[in-house]
Amino acid sequence: MIVKAETAPYVEAFAQRDGTDEPHWLAARRAAALANFGDKGFPTRRQEAWRFTDLRPLQRAAFPPVSGDGSAPFALDAYRCPGATHRLVLVDGKVAPALSDLGALPEGAFLASTAETLAEAPDLVAAALEESDAQGNQPFASLNAAFFTDGFVLALEPETVLERPIEILHLTSAGAPRSHHVRNLVRLGTGSRAVLLETYAGAGAHWTNSVTALHLREGAALHHARLQDESAEALHFAVNRAHVGRQARYRSFVLTLGGRLSRQDMLVRLDGEGAELALDGAYLLRGEQEATNATFVDHAAPGCTTRELFKGVVADRAHGVFLGSISVRPEAQKTDAHQLNKNLLLSRRATVDTKPELEILADDVKCSHGATVGDLDEAALFYLRTRGIAEGEARRMLIEAFAADALERVEPAALRAYLAHHLQAWLGRGEEGGR
Amino acid sequence: MLEIRNLHARIADGREILNGVELVVGAGEVHAIMGPNGSGKSTLAGVLSGRPGYEVTEGSVLYQGQDLLALSPDARARAGVFLAFQYPVEIPGVNNMYFLRAALNSLRRARGANELDAGQFLKAVRAKLKLLEIGDDLLQRAVNAGFSGGEKKRNEIFQMAMLEPKLAILDETDSGLDIDALKLVAGGINKLRAPDRAMVLITHYQRLLDYVVPDRVHVLSGGRIVKSGDKTLAAELERHGYAAYEAA
Repeated sequence: MIVKAETAPYVEAFAQRDGTDEPHWLAARRAAALANFGDKGFPTRRQEAWRFTDLRPLQRAAFPPVSGDGSAPFALDAYRCPGATHRLVLVDGKVAPALSDLGALPEGAFLASTAETLAEAPDLVAAALEESDAQGNQPFASLNAAFFTDGFVLALEPETVLERPIEILHLTSAGAPRSHHVRNLVRLGTGSRAVLLETYAGAGAHWTNSVTALHLREGAALHHARLQDESAEALHFAVNRAHVGRQARYRSFVLTLGGRLSRQDMLVRLDGEGAELALDGAYLLRGEQEATNATFVDHAAPGCTTRELFKGVVADRAHGVFLGSISVRPEAQKTDAHQLNKNLLLSRRATVDTKPELEILADDVKCSHGATVGDLDEAALFYLRTRGIAEGEARRMLIEAFAADALERVEPAALRAYLAHHLQAWLGRGEEGGR
Repeated sequence: MLEIRNLHARIADGREILNGVELVVGAGEVHAIMGPNGSGKSTLAGVLSGRPGYEVTEGSVLYQGQDLLALSPDARARAGVFLAFQYPVEIPGVNNMYFLRAALNSLRRARGANELDAGQFLKAVRAKLKLLEIGDDLLQRAVNAGFSGGEKKRNEIFQMAMLEPKLAILDETDSGLDIDALKLVAGGINKLRAPDRAMVLITHYQRLLDYVVPDRVHVLSGGRIVKSGDKTLAAELERHGYAAYEAA
């Protein structure tokens, strides 16, 4: 194998890792995935999907794949979801039993850390790995397959309904830069239903590299919200691959507030007739932050629906990127897919790259896409000010209204309130500087 | 209350729109400023409220003895000046109640009064709705978003009632209203007349003045007040039009 300079620290770390107590099948999958990572190397801007992403913060430093021991103390209050939940907390990429509280899970529900699952139900961990880890074009997902040690697994038997939300907190503690590779699986059996909230937060200039496989069988329903509020120095990459079956409903929302460099890759395949997808998000960026939301929706079956709305607020010298691709296969007649990306630029030096794309190979479909980039509405600002509201507060009101619009489809209301609260907290951290 | 002296103002392209406006409005008085299209009515409202895009080149505006033009738009509001917009701005995503409470509380803070909590605010809202005899149907909607012309103007009057200004400038508040909406808005204005509150009604038509009887009527033409009189001047204008003042 020819080792590329930027991959060398990871290839060396893999050679030195102690995987002796792991099953052979997993060791083989890891080796194949690492080979793919070494072969592909870091993505480059010559690749269309990575054209707008500046990977230099990742290349400037080494992020050795070291997990913590899950014991770092944390005050969870700022990121707890109000109300009763089934809670799993990971600290520095390792489950923290002292902070977790799974509560009483109903019959047919399995929730555990990935490490525990490997011991108890290795088939579920195998399901979290994908063929593409060993050959695909997501080198960081391959790297994750090579190194992951923990994460979470949620599996519901058919017709299992979880009343309480599942709450997964991924926290990082301060300390020397390192990478945390978490591998997650969500598998919802026929007719089962769940609400899942994932929060990524904490201190330090770490690299979180998360991969989640989601499988929704016929008639299953998942409300999935994610908050990425890591430190302003952190790096965050997440690959979510969802397979949505017949008449199943998947609602995903991702709120990006933190991270120096972050990227969410959301790949959704609508596999069964009548599947419904809501794929929404918002990103609020300031300082030198850069965030990419890349969505790839594959309409592989007839009569499926996609509603996609991403809203961006970009201040200072920050950079927002939206890549949205919807493809409709020839057999996916009666597809109904709409995608929209709207951005608000709050400074002359803020930038947005937006690239909505539709590829339609069926003839009886309703599809649309669009993108806008604009400034704060001066007429609205003046109107608020004539009522005595100071300029800073008026700006915050308008920014919040713009971004919160994307939350409209988030359910249940407690999840929407949680995200709205963190959005307001971002706004409260100060008016953007340098216009 | 308001003392405008020799006010000259121009717009971004350099055109002089106000050419020496003189106007003195005392506390408790209602003045109507009438004039044909292009006479400078909206510019006057814009300059008084601090709307961006106007440059005052000469003259002064004193409000309660202080230089009004030196204040930012929000500082003017906190000092007690209110502008009812000719075209109220739609603000999707900002709830009307949330907006009004933020506005009222920033005015109260400026006065050194305590902020109202949600319950106290609701009580104040109910009192004003009752005073104006209007419904609460607009309160839970986004500010002016999707409102009809009449609903927008009703919302302006409601805001005026809540914010209790010392000086209210109503810019073409009667335009685009059917007769029922006009009566409702005029009734609101009449109920808000008070000995310590001055009002300036800017209007093209006399019909608002059938319902709100002004203390003084002024004709604005070519950027200046060319004639002033009592309420009979409005009726005269209705009969003869603005032709006599066009070239003044």
